[in-house]
Amino acid sequence: MANDNGIVLKMENIIKTFPGVVALDDVSIELYKGEVLGILGENGAGKSTLIKILAGNYIKDSGSIFVDGKKFEIKNPSEAMASGIRVIYQELNSLNNLTVAENIFVGEQLVKGPFKIVDWKAMNKRAAEILKELNVELDPNAIIGDLSISEKQVVEIAKAISKEAKILVMDEPTAALSEEETQSLFKIIQTLKSRGVSIIYISHRLKEIFEITDRVVILRDGKNVGLRKTNETNANELVNLMVGRDIKEMYPKREVPIGEVVLEVKNLNAEGFKDISFNLRRGEILGIFGLLGSGRTALVKALFGANKIHSGDIIINGKKVNVKSPKIARDEKVGLVPLDRKVEGLALHLGVKENVTLANIEDLGKGFLINKKLEKMKAQKWVQELGIKTPTLEQEVNSLSGGNQQKVVLAKWLESGSKIIILNEPTRGIDVGAKIEIYKLMQNLCEEGSAVIMISSELPEILSIADRILVMSKGRITAQYSRTEATEEKLLQSACI
Amino acid sequence: MPEIKASSMEPGKKAKINNTGILFIVLVVLFALFSYIGRPFFFSVLNLIPMLNNLSFIGIIAAVLTMVMVTGEIDFSIGGNIGLTACLVAFLLSKGMSGWIVVVIALFGGAVMGAFNGFLATVVGVNSMIATIGTMFIWRGIGYTLSNGESMLAVNPVIDFIGRGFIFKVIPFPIVIFIIIFVVTYVVMNLSKWGRSIYAIGTNPMASYLSGINVKKVKFINFLLCGITASLGGLILTSLSAVGMPQHGQGLELVIISGIVLGGTALGGGKGEILGTLAGTLILSILYNFLTIMNVYYYYIQIVQGAVLVLVVATYEIRQSRALKRV
Repeated sequence: MANDNGIVLKMENIIKTFPGVVALDDVSIELYKGEVLGILGENGAGKSTLIKILAGNYIKDSGSIFVDGKKFEIKNPSEAMASGIRVIYQELNSLNNLTVAENIFVGEQLVKGPFKIVDWKAMNKRAAEILKELNVELDPNAIIGDLSISEKQVVEIAKAISKEAKILVMDEPTAALSEEETQSLFKIIQTLKSRGVSIIYISHRLKEIFEITDRVVILRDGKNVGLRKTNETNANELVNLMVGRDIKEMYPKREVPIGEVVLEVKNLNAEGFKDISFNLRRGEILGIFGLLGSGRTALVKALFGANKIHSGDIIINGKKVNVKSPKIARDEKVGLVPLDRKVEGLALHLGVKENVTLANIEDLGKGFLINKKLEKMKAQKWVQELGIKTPTLEQEVNSLSGGNQQKVVLAKWLESGSKIIILNEPTRGIDVGAKIEIYKLMQNLCEEGSAVIMISSELPEILSIADRILVMSKGRITAQYSRTEATEEKLLQSACI
Repeated sequence: MPEIKASSMEPGKKAKINNTGILFIVLVVLFALFSYIGRPFFFSVLNLIPMLNNLSFIGIIAAVLTMVMVTGEIDFSIGGNIGLTACLVAFLLSKGMSGWIVVVIALFGGAVMGAFNGFLATVVGVNSMIATIGTMFIWRGIGYTLSNGESMLAVNPVIDFIGRGFIFKVIPFPIVIFIIIFVVTYVVMNLSKWGRSIYAIGTNPMASYLSGINVKKVKFINFLLCGITASLGGLILTSLSAVGMPQHGQGLELVIISGIVLGGTALGGGKGEILGTLAGTLILSILYNFLTIMNVYYYYIQIVQGAVLVLVVATYEIRQSRALKRV
């Protein structure tokens, strides 16, 4: 197998810290020529950080990287590229207004003549050749914006291998793909492998790890907790390594009596989704599952008044509400813990207390001025209640760990008395311990009479925590399952309709 | 308290107080230096009173513009506003209108100008730098039209008092306005709910919006206040010079913005303090005053003013990129 051909990449004792969190703690990996190495780990395990270091986007604190046996200090992305390292990120960086061929050759268009005129003919021809090598049917003249996500991904792969890729890194490449598209991606990976390209395949989907990888490294909370040959391990062992504890302990579920309907959505239409109807009951955790681009984020943003609604009704506690702005949503006691807490949830350079009270500045005192004592009391209350780990109430939230930041966002809505709490990927980028705390908090809220909507793309999480699961695909609800009915297969299938 | 997991880095308050503190030390040193080099004239009532009067109308605009800038917006039209206000005041006085009414109309005019800037920046969504460079020309152009390009006498007991009056026979009235505005803006920015919204918006407008803060309203009202304050500055300047002319306030926006940025306000919003702005504008005021009384040719002073702006912003940018590299 691959071992004979030697090591193309070695990352040794990599350490990387961010304010408040150790993202990578002494991680080492080796990559052989022509192998597919899986990196498995939950959100926040350090997978992305490791890749960003390899790609030159982050500078490591310590440790060494060897490419083809030579020590190599990667200081920026172009250096990484020059040594044959290509990364295909989850969020594709395609130039949407250009053609397939232009995207493949971006930055180094083929030229001819003394004036270096772009040689379209040669470029299209070469692009067609590359695409053919990958066994895909794609017109080099097609405009990228018109392609599907999986086709865009193929173009990114073509771009990567057009420039002598030795090491190809794929960061959750199937997050937006259907089963069929995933299979064609795997074919491409096999083709590349047979040509001697080494591939790092990042995923948290076990099925794929077994299907495509030769070996798998498991990361947990920034540490390398195991390395297995894929054909010598099994799902149970990998999950145990990945989660580091028993499944029951990982996803604590308490049965909470379900009450009356608190939110009713009727035939809602807006940018990104169509004709959505569902209801939410007191004490319930409603899961929404869907692939990237399924419209789930657009839906919750519309519910929260951040996106414009075209038609349909939102009925909160029996009262029809025109949710025109987040302010109205807040006043109706709806809270949103957004997808990207750093961009949408927190004022990063303000302190914990300022962030906890961000949605309720008006309640910080009677008149025009802030009652500092009252503010402190309120912040202190939530810091204690949610167990937010911070040295002081004035600490910039930027320096807190992901889990504590998420708790601050949650505290903001609890402080404003939200009874319907919408969480979009609540455990993204936080460590296992904090995840469990977030699950427990969600259930505490339900016990206290709130209702929760949780969007999640992590199957074990949504299957264990949600009482009921809606599946979205292409902007529509395609299925609804109770917790007892739902299985991974059913969810994935409904998500690809 | 829960244990400390975070690293030792704690920028926030302490660092800022230090920066402002350093600025005040620089101010004192410069003042001493200028008093010595420029003796005996620099440190004399004959110089200090006009200098403080000058400072007052620059300072009050700087204080309110700081609020605008902390939300991540900017207002370049303040100089044009001063020019138009000066002409408007002189024009209305020439029509025989009473001083009090002229003052009210002038301030109302400032509110209209500020509201128009706010409308462009928040409702229409034009980048405020471009929008207010445009309105700067519009205001001054209207000023030229009103005055026919000439300076008009603006003498009236009420107007005279605004720039040249004294409270308790010793304190110049502009200084009183200056102190009041600084105290009020300090309270607003540091102690009030309004100020909290301003900082939140400047730090992260999206998160603020998604937390139910009416971002557009806050920005709009800040623009409005900035317009009123610029007109108040225009009134002071008109009174001090006893004439209204469209060239009043020309280039002042650069001096004021230099002072604010020197005082530590971030161009992208989120950071900035009233005390820093106070120190920054004081430093620039005494610098330009010193150059003037040392008989440095006016054209050269312009060069210095431009250079100071570039230097201050460059220093700011370098600091920013250093901070980023640490990640």
